[in-house]
Amino acid sequence: MMVSLLPVWAVLTPVLGLCALLLCERWIRPERVAAPFVGLSLYLSLSMTYQVMTSQAPLVYALGGWLPPLGLTLRADGVGVFLMTLTALVMTGVAVCAWTPSEGASSRGRFSFWALLLALWSALNLAFTAQDLFNFFVALEMLSFAAVALVALDGTRGALVAALRYLLFALAGSILYLLGVGLIYGRYAVLDLAGLREIAQPDTVTLAALALMTVGLMAKTALFPLHLWLPPAHAGAPAPASAMLSALVVKAPFLIILRLWVDLLPLPAAAPQQIMAGLGAAAILVCSVIALRQQRLKLMIAYSTLAQVGYLFLMFPLMPGPAPWQDIGWTGGLLQLASHGFAKAAMFLAAGLIYEALGHDRVAELGGLARRQPVTLAAFAIAGLSLMGLPPSGGFIAKLLLLTAAVEAGAWWIAAVILAGGILAAFYVFRALGHALADGDPPVAPVALYRQGAVLALALCALAIGFVPLRPFALLAIGRPLEALEALP
Amino acid sequence: MNGASMNGLLLAASFALPLLLAVAALWPPMRRHLLAALPAAPLPALAAALLAPGGSLMLAPDPLRLTLALDEPGAMLLGGSALLWCAAGAYAAHYLAASPRRTTFAVWWLLTMAGSLGLCLVADMTSFYLFFTVASLAAYGLVAHEATPAAGRASLVYMALALLGEAFLLLAFVMLAIGAPGIGNPAIAEAVAHLAASPFRDAILVLLVLGFGLKMGLVPLHVWMPLAHPVAPMPASAVLSGIIVKAGVIGLIRFLPFGGGLEGGGLGGWGEALIGLGLFTAFYAVAIGLTQPHPKVVLAYSTVSQMGVVAAVAGAGLASGSRATPVLAAFYALHHMLVKGALFLGVGVTGKAGGRSAGPVFAVMAVMALSLAGLPFTSGALAKYVVKDLFGDGAAALAVTLSATGSTLLMLHFLRRLAGLVAADAGKRPPAGLLLPFLAMAAASFLVVGLLLPATGASYAAALAPQALWKACWPVLLGGALAVLLHRFAPCLPAIPPGDLIVLAERGWPAVLRLADRLERADETLRRWPVAGALLLLLLLGLGAAMQLSAGFHIPGG
Repeated sequence: MMVSLLPVWAVLTPVLGLCALLLCERWIRPERVAAPFVGLSLYLSLSMTYQVMTSQAPLVYALGGWLPPLGLTLRADGVGVFLMTLTALVMTGVAVCAWTPSEGASSRGRFSFWALLLALWSALNLAFTAQDLFNFFVALEMLSFAAVALVALDGTRGALVAALRYLLFALAGSILYLLGVGLIYGRYAVLDLAGLREIAQPDTVTLAALALMTVGLMAKTALFPLHLWLPPAHAGAPAPASAMLSALVVKAPFLIILRLWVDLLPLPAAAPQQIMAGLGAAAILVCSVIALRQQRLKLMIAYSTLAQVGYLFLMFPLMPGPAPWQDIGWTGGLLQLASHGFAKAAMFLAAGLIYEALGHDRVAELGGLARRQPVTLAAFAIAGLSLMGLPPSGGFIAKLLLLTAAVEAGAWWIAAVILAGGILAAFYVFRALGHALADGDPPVAPVALYRQGAVLALALCALAIGFVPLRPFALLAIGRPLEALEALP
Repeated sequence: MNGASMNGLLLAASFALPLLLAVAALWPPMRRHLLAALPAAPLPALAAALLAPGGSLMLAPDPLRLTLALDEPGAMLLGGSALLWCAAGAYAAHYLAASPRRTTFAVWWLLTMAGSLGLCLVADMTSFYLFFTVASLAAYGLVAHEATPAAGRASLVYMALALLGEAFLLLAFVMLAIGAPGIGNPAIAEAVAHLAASPFRDAILVLLVLGFGLKMGLVPLHVWMPLAHPVAPMPASAVLSGIIVKAGVIGLIRFLPFGGGLEGGGLGGWGEALIGLGLFTAFYAVAIGLTQPHPKVVLAYSTVSQMGVVAAVAGAGLASGSRATPVLAAFYALHHMLVKGALFLGVGVTGKAGGRSAGPVFAVMAVMALSLAGLPFTSGALAKYVVKDLFGDGAAALAVTLSATGSTLLMLHFLRRLAGLVAADAGKRPPAGLLLPFLAMAAASFLVVGLLLPATGASYAAALAPQALWKACWPVLLGGALAVLLHRFAPCLPAIPPGDLIVLAERGWPAVLRLADRLERADETLRRWPVAGALLLLLLLGLGAAMQLSAGFHIPGG
């Protein structure tokens, strides 16, 4: 492992940006203040990824030189930097797309948006690098509060109701999670993951704690049937906010579930993993059908998020090996996470631009869009390709790996669900595309080309993941298994 | 630059040019000229088919292993497709010049073209799936182009079945790749060589036949074809029937283990099963086709029937272990591709021909139609001649011969229906933009198929010997005689809606809608607070209990 301050900077830089925003609120437009911090955070994430890839070792920093269990460590392993890169690219795309030089929304709303973007980014980087159960909790709370505020940003009644729903359910999730953390602390007096890994036993208390934490996090991930808050929240938020919520925010709690199950207490594959995959399968089948029946584009995309989150939970029974990170199920699940992140960000941003251009997002009235906004529509189509799991796209590779893992494990029902989910996704994407390609000559408000370009770039990122070779991806295994930090090297 | 890399580049250009043109549609100045550029897009593929057989190119090195390679059957189908894409493109440039959706049409056209041309020259499994999918899904845009309710229904059925086929194939490919050499993305040939030893062998073969059979229209998966072909614009029908259905043929050629050391009942019964399925399709489609009034629907059923024959050829190859099967099946498919393309283009020309111009057009159409039935001196006679040895002397051979009789019946029925289309206005002349591509395809069917005959190992002397000619003649004559008889009983034939079985399947549609309604209501219930709260607790208890139980079983005394 390498000692490096970079993980700390990655968490702090957006916070510094937030401070700068507060200081300069009166004099400088918020996006101009935020822009350098967006650029810097992007650079930090990319350079951390580069360092992890070249050194093949995680970047670690123990705050104040205190080692666990007393001190806090930040540790950017392969999965961590992979997700930080995803976050950085999506955030940058969102920032470019939300950059409006003209006086549009109220300045207060714009200020809040940029402040929340930075807060969200910091929380995500913390969630991806934290190493102990309490830091996870801190990251999750930061994340939830920033996300709830983003949902409420429009200030309409519907938005506030959706935000409140989200807040209450996220709090319920937090309480369960915190209960679990309390049990673990009571049992072991340690919260550090690497330390826990060495001493944790599959006894009643530990398992109960794990169940509490897992279900609490599932509520925050909006895994079917705990999804009551997601459709109104994601469909009601402003499009750039929805993009961040769908692409990134629901992924952080999922990653923590994954780390609990793989890093904290590796259990043999059995009924619990089957239950999680079963919920994932139900999410895929039910939510895809409901997406197909939505009249509004953003609601359709929100339901598609619910379905795509289901794929993530399919990976739990598909990593049966003693080192799950060497299994293709692991790579498949994480690639699904990333490619859905890019694709869904592109799709929500595209829906936002379509809304700006047409003044509505009713699926049945999109006719004429192909001629008026070909770049946005191309981005939508490419993102859709990834959601359907068609080649060449990240979604295809991810589904192929999961499918292979399912066939190898003899889990035929999972294979069938993956295939059926792809067919249903194709239907809802093609339904929207078909309407957009129809005749029509609606009045269209102009949308700057660079904003459409940003959406296309995100969609192309989802496409680019399609060129990862079909085998366990080495980056995602760096820094595993966890080892306790004995002394700072 | 040496010849080998030149050939490789030509292969890549075959699908790169149509793709680039499709992407160029994002650029407004290019859009106006896109339709006119359609005939030029397949030219690199045509050049590749002529100049680069045997060429290969590694598009991406080892972990990805995207590989292009052009073998003999691939070159035949690539060249034939490129020719038909050229002619149909020229036809479309005239036919759709005034359509408001011509740019959208051109984009779907180019994407379908890129997929279908690339399919002929890829050698690894991922690329094959990629191009198969592109060709298959982009064709949706061609079916849906007219935006009428009939087109909406046809495109929905097409889409649903195409996606189902993709799912079958994906699962088959995944199972095929497991254990094959080359982690991740094995070459097709390597994976197929491994097929006989695969633990999933029978499942893979079932899925392959389902996936490719769906594209070829083997009964009962043929239902999309009689719906899709008549609603598409004329040039799109030509490429759908001529080229898109051949994606299934290429699939069978590439993925079935012909003569791959499977003697001794290694694939016991599979060849015979495929022969049976193919021949059943061949006769079934004739029977249904005879009841159809619309000439384009009749042609669609004829395609189903002909693809049944190709499937039977593949089955016979599998049963006899003949390594020549891919070339023979490709040769038969090439003949059908060119002739069926010409026929569909010709239906449009006939509608625009009146008075004195109608006679010659109709005569060419008659020759093309009877070529499908295997009339001597046409491409059909050659195609049927080269494949018949695969079937030996048994009942299958007789059935294949009699399928020519069926085709004759069906084609005479088609010609009668076509006569009703001739323009009433005697002064009407078909425009050159439509007439020339049609005539070019008709001529190409004679020239190309004739010139390629030696590639199948047959000789002109044997193929044109009196005995061979008589063997080609009598089924046609029998068909003619039966047609006269059938004409008597024509009013007694039942009226069967196009797509036959789909009408039965569609009866289930309201039930599907009801299910979706129910799911939507269930979702509303689940999203109520009390229900969601209860579910949260239930899930907690369930997961916790499952964890305790399974931990108790696996780690005693933990």
